[in-house]
Amino acid sequence: MAGNNLQSTISVHGRTLYPTCKLLNSSKMLGFSLQSRTDRGLIVCSAVGHNTLNSDELGLRNPTRTSEILELIDQGEKTLANSGKFGRFGGIFVPETLITCLKKLEVEFNWVLHDPQFQEELSIALKDYVGRETPLYFAERLTNYYRNKNGEGPEIYLKREDLTHGGAHKINNAIAQAMLAKRMGRKSIVAATGAGQHGVATAAACAKLGLDCTIFMGSIDMQRQSSNVLLMEHTGAQVKSVAGTFKDATSEAIRSWVGNLQGSYYLAGTAVGPHPCPSMVREFQTVIGKETRKQAMEKWIGKPDVLVACVGSGSNALGLFHEFIRDEDVRLIGVEAAGYGIDSGKHSATLAKGEVGVYHGAMSYLLQDDEGQIIGPHSIGVGLEYPGVSPELSFLKDIGRAEFYAITDEEALEAYTRLCQLEGIFPALEAAHALAYLEKLCPTLASGTKVVVNCSGRGDKDAGTVFKYQHKMEGEQAQSE
Amino acid sequence: MAFFAAAPCRARTHLASSADCYSLLPLKFDRITPPCHLNPKPHSVFCTLSKQTMAEHHLEPVVLQRPDSFGRFGKFGGKYVPETLMYALTELETAFNSLASDQKFQNELDGILRDYVGRESPLYFAERLTEHYKRPDGRGPQIYLKREDLNHTGAHKINNAVAQALLAKRLGKKRIIAETGAGQHGVATATVCARFGLECIIYMGAQDMERQALNVFRMRLLGAEVRPVHSGTATLKDATSEAIRDWVTNVESTHYILGSVAGPHPYPMMVREFHAVIGKETRKQALEKWGGKPNVLVACVGGGSNAMGIFHEFVDDKDVRLIGVEAAGFGLDSGKHAATLTKGEVGVLHGAMSYLLQDDDGQIIEPHSISAGLDYPGVGPEHSFLKDIGRAEYYSITDEEAIEAFKRLSRLEGIIPALETSHALAYLEKLCPTLPDGTKVVLNCSGRGDKDVQTAIKLLKL
Repeated sequence: MAGNNLQSTISVHGRTLYPTCKLLNSSKMLGFSLQSRTDRGLIVCSAVGHNTLNSDELGLRNPTRTSEILELIDQGEKTLANSGKFGRFGGIFVPETLITCLKKLEVEFNWVLHDPQFQEELSIALKDYVGRETPLYFAERLTNYYRNKNGEGPEIYLKREDLTHGGAHKINNAIAQAMLAKRMGRKSIVAATGAGQHGVATAAACAKLGLDCTIFMGSIDMQRQSSNVLLMEHTGAQVKSVAGTFKDATSEAIRSWVGNLQGSYYLAGTAVGPHPCPSMVREFQTVIGKETRKQAMEKWIGKPDVLVACVGSGSNALGLFHEFIRDEDVRLIGVEAAGYGIDSGKHSATLAKGEVGVYHGAMSYLLQDDEGQIIGPHSIGVGLEYPGVSPELSFLKDIGRAEFYAITDEEALEAYTRLCQLEGIFPALEAAHALAYLEKLCPTLASGTKVVVNCSGRGDKDAGTVFKYQHKMEGEQAQSE
Repeated sequence: MAFFAAAPCRARTHLASSADCYSLLPLKFDRITPPCHLNPKPHSVFCTLSKQTMAEHHLEPVVLQRPDSFGRFGKFGGKYVPETLMYALTELETAFNSLASDQKFQNELDGILRDYVGRESPLYFAERLTEHYKRPDGRGPQIYLKREDLNHTGAHKINNAVAQALLAKRLGKKRIIAETGAGQHGVATATVCARFGLECIIYMGAQDMERQALNVFRMRLLGAEVRPVHSGTATLKDATSEAIRDWVTNVESTHYILGSVAGPHPYPMMVREFHAVIGKETRKQALEKWGGKPNVLVACVGGGSNAMGIFHEFVDDKDVRLIGVEAAGFGLDSGKHAATLTKGEVGVLHGAMSYLLQDDDGQIIEPHSISAGLDYPGVGPEHSFLKDIGRAEYYSITDEEAIEAFKRLSRLEGIIPALETSHALAYLEKLCPTLPDGTKVVLNCSGRGDKDVQTAIKLLKL
């Protein structure tokens, strides 16, 4: 289909022109996702003709000098300011009806970022309601576990986002956006949730601020994370079931929002979606990284050497990383879900196995088949089960600023049990992916390297899953004996 | 020397006036209700009184010593334990007293409370709850919540567990035992044992184990051994007795992490001291927020640890009202409740003299509350003392009122409180209309309620 011109069916952004597009033979250069929902005559996500340059032409693949990375980051910030893009990723791929709304949101967001009164209220809410600052905890027994025979090894610190109200980092963003929505005069909030943590956080924030709350959740997820459903309903949210998982719930939530743009506010839970959502969510999560810098200085008068975080869509990772992207001596490591294995077809390793396309309003890597249809992801960490990923993380991968690896379900479960037994902390299965990567990482690190792992949530919600899995294993073992 | 077999014996005290509290004798008996069984049941703890008690009392005004040198709060408290445990308790008390002035220990504990537990917990102004209690003319008290629900493991229990584990390590003990009802204290104990690399054995009533299978699994995931107790009613009080029995047998190698301000001296004092950080932070935060002190402190009372934790700092501040809220279960007259301070009588249970729920034969009455943490037939001796001298007030709240409060805080503030805490929250309904405008009320939000949502939903649907 080389040479076909594919024009955008929607105007993306007044300032950026997308004249023609070449659907190249190798779909690796430009993949796209086409999901048209015509029940309301809306096209939620659509293929867009895009003037995407071959990344080799931009010299992005292997920058020879590290300061090139800083230049690329600078360029990235410029494109963000101009067009809502991180390099070639991101953007505002949405129907006309939403453009004005998103523009208004961007204006409000920029305003509150600099409004001392809003910042003060937010800071009190983060301190007294959410329970910040969260500690930077030296995991002594985990550190000892990774020491070699000579007693050498890195030092492992955990950033304790599991101690926040609701039990995950999601609340940082939910409370800030709920406050923003209230300020904008909206009375009801709409959101989508995968594992339920964002739903729980949103429901809590809405209860506190007296806003109506509707949460869309995939029916499969509702079964797997039923305890979170109860928590949401209990705080007064209405939970609506959508056939499928998080990606389907997101589409439904956006559709519901579009039907009531004046009165309702779509509370994005993670750093995906059309601009300004990825930037907003990242900005509200960046308190994690800011605190880490300060606490590292207090504890060892320095910076972390390595930051490790799990990556579903990317909000907790960006929350920790963003503060340090210009510190080239700080390694950024994202860990995705390899599910049953990276070659099994049942995983959520978007940055490892995905291709570039547009999904839920932004250009980014995503898991798609040859026809541009979304591949249903899988992970035991339900919060990691998203076929897309934040455009900002796609950008950081492309410019070589961050590294991404993948961990299987089994490795994650082992890491869950390991942290329980060594530190008495139940990590969320999502965070367990980041912890599992330490097995591969620590042997390669110099003695005394300071590693900070984002313990992005607590794992009480997952005890049932681990229970079932262990029983299943025991049953299988017994059968084979 | 008086010797009493088969505790708990029912000891009636005649207190014509509060002056009698300051009597030289720890106990005054006008009668002992017969029959007092001469053959103790296997799950009872013996009690002995020794001459020492009376000699040490002198003329010290008891009210200033909380506890006094024998571990008494007025006539309550004490060390009603078998001889084998006396040495262990003395050793524990000596260790505790020396660590209180050991800066290294304090620094280590502070570091753990900060980085592991997540202290300080915030003092949160509950705006919508305050609004809910405003009278039609817009006047009403201001409600603040001390957020112990934000601690690691989700309740105040960890403050004490972490400190006792550190203490045990200092004593060179490698083995920890504890009892648990619903599993919260068990999980907290297993948590700290995992953190400090200590062997952990949790005694749990077999009936409780069935009802709380997930908590049992969590304790096992943390590396603890959970031992079922089948004796008696196979619930908390039986698990406690079994744990004490284990301790008697293994006292050299083992430390018993008691979960509340009950039990023989020095436990009530130690557990109170380890929780006192709650009150200390509250004082500091109140000063920062409104330049003053709280006017009223409200907390739920099961064994009494979270209440003592917040009250202790303010006991000598006479202008601060202390209110404890117990569980009235199905109602105070139903016979199915856990309102020890309201309906109990003085006796000895698990090593301490205190109010407890007992029948005419001095046998423990099985308590009931929808919240497992308040489901204890005794109460900390210091609470019994504070009640008797009129320093603290105690009320009770039914299961139904607690569930209402559970729902209310969830909807108004997005905070799901533990059912235990909900009892304290429910009392606000009766308290707030009586308070002048602007009264500062601090309620100890002692735990989060994720564990209770299933229970609440079941009951709300009925």
